[in-house]
Amino acid sequence: MQPGREGEQSPRPASYPRRTISRLHSRHIFHAYLFIAPVVLLFGLFRVLPSVQTLLFSFYKVELLKDRLTFIGLDNFISLFSDEIFQKATVNTLTYVITIVPISAFLGLVLAVLFNAQFALKEFFKAVYFSPMVTSTVAAAMVWWWMYNPQFGIFNVLLRLVGLPGQPWLMSSHMALPSIIIFSVWKNLGYNMIIYLAGLQAIPQQFYEAATIDGAGPVMRFRHVTIPLLAPTTTFILIYDTILALQVFDQVFVLTGGGPANSTNVVVLDLYRQAFERYNFGYAAAEAMVLFLFILAVTILQYYYSRRYEVAY
Amino acid sequence: MRRASWFAVVLTVLFLTPAVVLAGAAKTITLWYPAGDITAGAAHFADKNLFSEFEKKYNIKVEAVALDYDTMQQKIFAAAAGKNVADVLFVDSSWLPGFLKEEMLEPVADAKAKAWLSAVSPEIVELSDYGKGRMWGYPQYGIDVYGLTWNKTQFKDAGLDPEKPPKTWDEFREYAKKLTKTEGGNITRVGYAIRHVGHPHGVVHKHFWAIYGTGGALIDDPNRLRGGKALIDTPHTKAALKLILDMLDVDKSTSLNFPDPRAAFLKGIASMQISETVSIKARQPKEAPDLKWGMALPPVEKAGDKPVTLLGAWLYSVPKQAKNKAQAWQLIEWLNSQEKDFELCKQYDASPRYKANWEKEPFKSDPYDQGLKQMYPYGKKLPINLGLNGIMDAMGGAIQKVWHHEATIDAALAEAQRQADKAIADAAK
Repeated sequence: MQPGREGEQSPRPASYPRRTISRLHSRHIFHAYLFIAPVVLLFGLFRVLPSVQTLLFSFYKVELLKDRLTFIGLDNFISLFSDEIFQKATVNTLTYVITIVPISAFLGLVLAVLFNAQFALKEFFKAVYFSPMVTSTVAAAMVWWWMYNPQFGIFNVLLRLVGLPGQPWLMSSHMALPSIIIFSVWKNLGYNMIIYLAGLQAIPQQFYEAATIDGAGPVMRFRHVTIPLLAPTTTFILIYDTILALQVFDQVFVLTGGGPANSTNVVVLDLYRQAFERYNFGYAAAEAMVLFLFILAVTILQYYYSRRYEVAY
Repeated sequence: MRRASWFAVVLTVLFLTPAVVLAGAAKTITLWYPAGDITAGAAHFADKNLFSEFEKKYNIKVEAVALDYDTMQQKIFAAAAGKNVADVLFVDSSWLPGFLKEEMLEPVADAKAKAWLSAVSPEIVELSDYGKGRMWGYPQYGIDVYGLTWNKTQFKDAGLDPEKPPKTWDEFREYAKKLTKTEGGNITRVGYAIRHVGHPHGVVHKHFWAIYGTGGALIDDPNRLRGGKALIDTPHTKAALKLILDMLDVDKSTSLNFPDPRAAFLKGIASMQISETVSIKARQPKEAPDLKWGMALPPVEKAGDKPVTLLGAWLYSVPKQAKNKAQAWQLIEWLNSQEKDFELCKQYDASPRYKANWEKEPFKSDPYDQGLKQMYPYGKKLPINLGLNGIMDAMGGAIQKVWHHEATIDAALAEAQRQADKAIADAAK
């Protein structure tokens, strides 16, 4: 009996159908690769290749305009670790990350819990909180620069209206980084809110019903049902926000340029300066590699640490 | 056969026409300059007729393109690396060390440089000559000289002579205290506005007069391209920083809340400031038409000291990667000829560069131009060292740290000295 529809007789030899299936399978795989080829090619060209090139450059003195590469081994890295400006940039970046990640995540969760309830104009307010996310960071930062102006900015106008003294904000070494953090929290809040909202809405209701039956009040239900079941979402948000925060650049460049007195200088801004103002491409590449390794280490640590809190439902 | 001959003639005409048209078509060269009011010397590039005479004479079309100042240096570098840079660059002379480190610029031909240096005024020679007659471009007309500008009306209201600016640091502090106004404990007008935010280089430019005025400097040999030693951690620089720190903390005649000295001066919320006088001259008619202002050399540490101020200029230069170098030099030489210097300076109300043009009206009797001429002999340009960017970053960072009370003067300057020496050593490798 030959394979095929019942009653049909294949005129071909018995081995052919197996080869046909194998050929069809190969063509199927080939088509699949063909469809993903453009993306893979572009990814390779614009992500992988530059990353490999950066890794290579970090071991060289790079003189682009002279088309010259001089191998210097680990000199760039040794110089980097004794660079006081890079050390300060690292401290600033870590301060930024440690502050903004938990604050953004916490406020995002609070908003998500609020928006999980039903109330009038809910969708409108959701859009209002999400809108900073879709605004260009540079454009928003330029507006905030004016809002932070010590003489004419709206923040100081409001402070003076309630009888409080105006603040120097971006003009002060002590306040410039917190001012940037406030902007960044405002900018990213909507995204965390949406992700948490999706996580909340994925929690099956029967857990809450069971907890209610067992006598748990709203706070206990939130603590013992919502928080643990949001663990995967929280993991994602913490990792994602940490990666983004470690690479902060746009708002710092626009709001303060890394000043005053390097108080807001961050690693990515420092490597940008090394590359495009001092033309030290090899040194900048070394900074980029150190940042990459750091982000990788933090991500792996966060991922393994958070796995113990994962739950399945 | 006849048809075939006609067909061949038509084909030949069609084939040759584009070549003939292209041969007669004008070549186009590009010129990049900074957008906005970064330098008064760039304002004329927006004039569509600026190059019409040159274009007619040489059959070369000039395309002037404005670039954002903050990213201009990076764009130039990236374009040069991609071998797609403009033919003429109008660049800040403080960027020169970075460009020279990458061997990016064509030097001016020796004969042309010699002719230029013998025909222009001494301050233009100072800005043009980078050692042994070597030139990397032609400085703009209407060069930048940093001077003290003061509000004459506010001087009079404070009981000060509006025609007499402070000459010494003691007078400077006294005047600033008298001119400062406070309301409800907040300073509403500073006697002297300081630049303390933004790019560190800008901070150093605005404080150059104090550092050099005490006998200090940024580096031991200002004309040495590679190597050398920074001179940041010295008693001279300490004195310069202490002056402003005392005005901040002791006199309370200045404040960190007025970050843009020129804007504050033009708005009337700063009575004195020190920056490029040409910028005030260009902006005052539009932004403060009623402002009566004076201009003089910055004050000296004590009576009898020689004043020092910063001379700066933007340069017309040609990158090595330019595709039309011959035409680019043609444009630059036409723009910087004696005739064009006179014509354009008269048209755009700028100070000329040629000695002969200074003898002609209106420059001979214009009070602003003659005031500048008095100041020019005291001007110095920035050093040419390849590590200049690092030196300026370090010095600017130190100034900011001290005025923001992040560090003591000694600690900030010691750190800046280390960073500057490292920058010099790295650039020399």
